[in-house]
Amino acid sequence: MNGNECISETLGDYVLVRLSGEVDLSWSQQVRRAILDALGDTGKVGVELSQVSYIDSSGIAALVEGFQNARSRNQKFGLVGVSGAVMAVLQLARLDRVFPIFADLDAARSA
Amino acid sequence: MRPVAADSRDSARASGRRALSFLADLSQSLAVSLDLKTTLGPALTRTMDFMHAEGASLFLLDPATKLLECKVCAGPVDIVGLKLEVGQGVVGRAVAENAPQRSDDARRDARVNTRVDAETGFVTRAILCVPLATAQGPIGALEIINRRDGGAFDADDAEILRLVAAPMALAINNARLALEVAEQQRIRREMGLARSIQKSLLPKRRRGKFPLIGVNLPAHEISGDFYDYFDLADGRLAFFVGDISGKGLDAAFLMVRVASLLRWNGKAAPAPAAWLREVNTELCETLQNGRFVCAVVGIYDRRTHQVVIANAGFPPGLLDHGGRFEELPADGPPLGIIKEAEYGERTLDLGGAALYLFSDGATDVREGARARLGADGLCELIRRYAALAPEPRLRALISELKRRRLVDDTTLLLLQEPRGSEVRELLALRFPADPREMRRVRAELRTALDAEDVAPELRDRLVLVVDEACTNVMRHAYCGGETGTIALRVTRERDMLGFELRDEAPCVDPARIKPRDLSECRAGGLGVAFIDATMDFWHIEGLPGGRGNRLVMRKRIAAQVQNDRESD
Repeated sequence: MNGNECISETLGDYVLVRLSGEVDLSWSQQVRRAILDALGDTGKVGVELSQVSYIDSSGIAALVEGFQNARSRNQKFGLVGVSGAVMAVLQLARLDRVFPIFADLDAARSA
Repeated sequence: MRPVAADSRDSARASGRRALSFLADLSQSLAVSLDLKTTLGPALTRTMDFMHAEGASLFLLDPATKLLECKVCAGPVDIVGLKLEVGQGVVGRAVAENAPQRSDDARRDARVNTRVDAETGFVTRAILCVPLATAQGPIGALEIINRRDGGAFDADDAEILRLVAAPMALAINNARLALEVAEQQRIRREMGLARSIQKSLLPKRRRGKFPLIGVNLPAHEISGDFYDYFDLADGRLAFFVGDISGKGLDAAFLMVRVASLLRWNGKAAPAPAAWLREVNTELCETLQNGRFVCAVVGIYDRRTHQVVIANAGFPPGLLDHGGRFEELPADGPPLGIIKEAEYGERTLDLGGAALYLFSDGATDVREGARARLGADGLCELIRRYAALAPEPRLRALISELKRRRLVDDTTLLLLQEPRGSEVRELLALRFPADPREMRRVRAELRTALDAEDVAPELRDRLVLVVDEACTNVMRHAYCGGETGTIALRVTRERDMLGFELRDEAPCVDPARIKPRDLSECRAGGLGVAFIDATMDFWHIEGLPGGRGNRLVMRKRIAAQVQNDRESD
């Protein structure tokens, strides 16, 4: 009802974790689990953020943890369709150049 | 034989009665007044007559010169003003030995000073002299000369004279004490006068929305500290505060001169560093005896909310950003020491901050045997009364300092932009320390900031930062099963937004809450880094009693609009 959703979609060898709503401490553990699970299933994971209107540092931490896990195991991890709200926080955390960021799913899958 | 014996007993009794009644009269007459000039002269004449002597004199010892001087005399030769050394002559010996001296044949007595006789033609035949004894030793001597019947003085005469000397010594001692008291009263009166003149040199407190208040507390009547402020022609406000090395009258006189010099030079509105330089040059030419002056000068501009100060050896100023203190150390040496000295100056954004300038007397106060209060102790006191408006706050600080022991002149100057009705409350919420509450809190905060026309980018940043602060409280303060609430209060004062967060969790150690470097890629510690990167200042402190924390954050919104434009 509050618009917060975390849905993992499998598209062949690619898993897309779709987030929407406001990612904050009340459910960021759920987001973290979904990202780590996806990385356990496949070598290519994206997190879709176009419908995220707010993200706090605990949500950012879930993304960072996914990114670091993927890198250590030579997996691919990227952010897809980053909303303005999320980008502002990534910039504040100086992480906007750390994550691979893709405009849409096609670009992410073909990377 | 018996009648003779009876006669002599009767006459002895009679003379004893006579002597007693004479002594009683004499004591009474001496007690009438503390003015020795009116009492001693007649007393001495009466003594001379009672003793059937041709002359009498009274010598007093001057404690400063250690000389005996004749103050009063009776008889044919006036020797008032005659000075003798202790041990010199019969009088000198009486004092030196604190014992009666008798000379039955003065003309053949080596002890006797013959100079006066030689000068006057008077012939001194017999002398009797007794010391004016007090508990603190002899203060002079009483001397009688020549029995009128031509005979020598006897042991009875010596005894009577010793008894006469006692009330005289007492009267003189009393008069001296009275004089000392009067002298002390005079000095106190004059010091009080000096103090009131000095006070009149301090600026009148201006009522209403005036940003400066000062207080001067002298350790004694008068002070070597000073402060002053005055309007410049362009509307800015100039001020200074200083401390003359040393205490007492000379420091107070110098203070008057230095304060005039600073005021005179400040009227031309020089930059504070140049202001100090000019006064330093002048003082180097005129100050003596290793005297020097510590001072801060400053100019405050109401329009820009900025204050520029320059500090010459004065204790570091304190800029209080809502509980976080910035120390402002000296920009050069004290005035009056190095002629070529150069001074720096610093520009401060006053905004919601408070600038405290204080002479070292404020930090040197003692509490019983405890060490000095120190700058940290003063910060602690300022924090304790931070919630008060400037005037009552300064009063509270002063009474705290007075409760301790002032050992030096103490001056406090407080510069703070007027507040009051201008502080508006934008939001006040109290909610359980539960992350699920934050969605609602963020929505309310967003609405409140939108109502203030805060730019959307900044609004979202502020919402993020407040959220981070709240979730930090939930995760780190209320840890280990602790539950409780968080109170959020958002205020606006002109272009300054204030955020205050209070919780009821055990006090955290503020030293452990530090922003991390954002250039490293890691998941933890982002919240504090966000706060630090966004807010103009922030401060966290434990509340008294070991429970509860208070986080204060401030953000100037006009400045942010400018910054955003610059970065665009």
